[in-house]
Amino acid sequence: MTAFIIRRLLWTIPVLLLVIFLTFVLMRQIEGNPFRRTSRAVSPAVQANLERKFNLDEPWYVQYALYVKGVFTLDLGPSLVTRDRTVNDIVKEHFPKSLELGLLAFVWAIVIGIPMGVIAALRQNTAWDYSLMFISNVGYAVPSFLVATLLIYYVSLKAGLLPTNGWEGWKYKILPSFALGLLPMAYFARLVRGSMLETLQQDYVRTAKAKGLRRRRIVMVHVLRNSLIPAVTAMAPLLGFIITGTFVIEIIFSIPGIGRYFVTAISSRDYSVVMGITVLTSVIIVLANLVVDILYGILDPRTRDART
Amino acid sequence: MLSRNRWLSALLLSFVAVLLVVGCGGGDDESDDGGGEAAAADQTLKWGLGAEYNLDPGLATDTTSAKLVLNIFDPLVKLDDELNAVPSMADSWDVNGKKVVYHLKTGAKWSNGDPVTAKDYEYAWKRALSPELASDYSYQLYGIKGGLEYNSCEKNCAALRDKVAVKATDDKTLEVTLTSTQPWFIQQSAHSVFLPVHQKTIDKFGERWTRPENIVTNGPFKVEAAQPSASITLVKDQDWRDAADVKLERVEGRIIVDGTTAVQSFEAGEVDVLDEQLPAAETPRLKETPEYELYPGLGTSYYGFNVKENITDVNQRRAMSLAVDRQSIIDNITQANEKPADSFTPEGMPGKAEVVPEASPWTPAAGDIEMAKEYMAKAKNAKKKITIYSNEGAPNKEVAEALQSMWKQIGIDSSIKILEWQQFLEFLGPPPPKAVDIYRLGWVGDFVDDINFLELWTCDSGNNNTGFCDKEYDALVAKAKNTPDNDARYAIYKQLEDKLTGQNGALPFIPLWYITYPNLERESVKDTFSINLLDQVDLTKVEIKG
Repeated sequence: MTAFIIRRLLWTIPVLLLVIFLTFVLMRQIEGNPFRRTSRAVSPAVQANLERKFNLDEPWYVQYALYVKGVFTLDLGPSLVTRDRTVNDIVKEHFPKSLELGLLAFVWAIVIGIPMGVIAALRQNTAWDYSLMFISNVGYAVPSFLVATLLIYYVSLKAGLLPTNGWEGWKYKILPSFALGLLPMAYFARLVRGSMLETLQQDYVRTAKAKGLRRRRIVMVHVLRNSLIPAVTAMAPLLGFIITGTFVIEIIFSIPGIGRYFVTAISSRDYSVVMGITVLTSVIIVLANLVVDILYGILDPRTRDART
Repeated sequence: MLSRNRWLSALLLSFVAVLLVVGCGGGDDESDDGGGEAAAADQTLKWGLGAEYNLDPGLATDTTSAKLVLNIFDPLVKLDDELNAVPSMADSWDVNGKKVVYHLKTGAKWSNGDPVTAKDYEYAWKRALSPELASDYSYQLYGIKGGLEYNSCEKNCAALRDKVAVKATDDKTLEVTLTSTQPWFIQQSAHSVFLPVHQKTIDKFGERWTRPENIVTNGPFKVEAAQPSASITLVKDQDWRDAADVKLERVEGRIIVDGTTAVQSFEAGEVDVLDEQLPAAETPRLKETPEYELYPGLGTSYYGFNVKENITDVNQRRAMSLAVDRQSIIDNITQANEKPADSFTPEGMPGKAEVVPEASPWTPAAGDIEMAKEYMAKAKNAKKKITIYSNEGAPNKEVAEALQSMWKQIGIDSSIKILEWQQFLEFLGPPPPKAVDIYRLGWVGDFVDDINFLELWTCDSGNNNTGFCDKEYDALVAKAKNTPDNDARYAIYKQLEDKLTGQNGALPFIPLWYITYPNLERESVKDTFSINLLDQVDLTKVEIKG
């Protein structure tokens, strides 16, 4: 197991190099002047000064080498647009909030989505099943920004129950995390339902019933654990959705997270911020995949031995 | 069992159905009683800011930052409602041709107790010009002798820095020598880039000097707390020189970039004023509310031609301008009560009445299709298939589509290309590529003199994407810059405007309308909270009424 983990961690280095290279190339392909804030042309003197300051007048391979060095020494450089903060500052300040948002969304998804799937499976083809799956369909199909705006309108504005935007206390965190967690919630519900239905047909479940075990024990101990495997596998790609979903949710709910920064950095061509956040996101995805693989091994002992 | 399930499922389904029906029912009455009325005695302003702020006057480019820095630092002059310069930190000033002398008030202090002196202004202006800071707005100081040279310096800049002709001859006197007589310089120095900064703080903390724990200010308000990207809290500086006249005690700003959320936050009573970030789609509904406020802005929105190789015949340009029904676009698309443009010089610009005594014949507010067709017929090398370039964002696409249908009536087929903002700017050059026939742009004034608008169209201007180049025009601009007498100068401006939009003008662009700033303001603060033509807010005038 340890060898497995170490090998996976070592793989992150070539992945990161590739990500840096691709981001670098792509950002340079979409032209645009990082120093032009409004429609006003930047005076040539100012343009030259800024390019010198941020090493943009160096040849491309020098700039690339500087980026790579920066990433591996954990110094992501200054922001081209927000002149009083470095990319490290921005990440330190804003990433924890996005992380919290993403984790809370996952919590909603697990706490509501999985029981939804379980109930639907246990009460298959009844009103419970149909209505829960209908809700799940809605949650899957309706885009999160629409849900977000509707929630603000009904819950905050009309009912006055929760604040409309911000991230200052627990009250502020409910609506955004719910809006973000809706799709994973729906996805889990369907997955768990499907896999439970399949598991419930298995011979060993029939054996357990024949042995006289209580229904509750059968479900919780034998069936659930096996049914969760597809859900765990799904967590890794869902993570990608949650990361991109935070961009929209953060803008709508005015949450000072990294997603919002990422979007504005791309439109304002803040190369170092884009690079820094892309690298950070890649590392997270690689690590999350690793965690999922480990969890998978815990849930399904058959896969443990397959790994060398 | 069965019936209970059926009952439950019916309940669940009907609940969901009701939600959907109500949601799709469209907006109905918005009662604005979210408990947001600020108490009469509580002078706290809750402000929904529209963008992230930068508290460094040398680097603040956007209007949100400008609104904040102009209230935490003390400018030499401010602008009154007619945009005349009035004393602020400067008590009086003398203008003698190229020489300007400011006489500062005494006794003012920085928030850490240090006295405010003319040296602070000298330091700040030279800093804004420094190549190390590379400030976007350094060009505002190019009017000072030695400014451009210092800003363009690549190495050994200390010598050039000393040659910049702004000097604090003593604690309360600031002497400036300009490159030419610039009668607008005093008003120009009301801009945020001319604000003072505290040198010792910058020396000590470098680029982190604007953090709330480090920052030192000298304005009517000081920074109590700041969460980057999220919020900022200002409190009245009780030791400010005119603190007795300032009614507002506290400003709680929170950044709400998304327009829809900002409006919802306002309607929920969480903020009392916004920062102009109203979504275009909601303007028709918000216009009917008592909290809606509209301010004219010093800016002109226009569509520029590529005159060099594409729309070369002036008659076609005239025809296209005549075909535009500006009022209809304003009433139905932009819906912010903009004023249809009758020239390039915007409404509110000092001297407008002399510069544009009568409207341009080519910009009828409701359009004139018949006359447009006449001129189109006169055009010799008319280009009948054109491409319109615009950047994305509401309502640009809809405006382009409206123009497309208006020009169809005079026999021009146009296709529309929408580009992302930065790519759009790169694409336009100057010089614009051959693919561009006509493009959308606008110009917002930096300071209140028409030269700021008219010098756009000189041959070398980096903001002239039309290819229009007239040596006589350039000569007149140079002459105007050396004409201190306002009336004489306005007469030259009239000639310049004639060359652009006059009867025999080249019409390198179609003036559309003069911009406005729509905003939402709670009735308790609506009378005193005001945005001027340059998009500035003076918080010392704000008072929250009961």
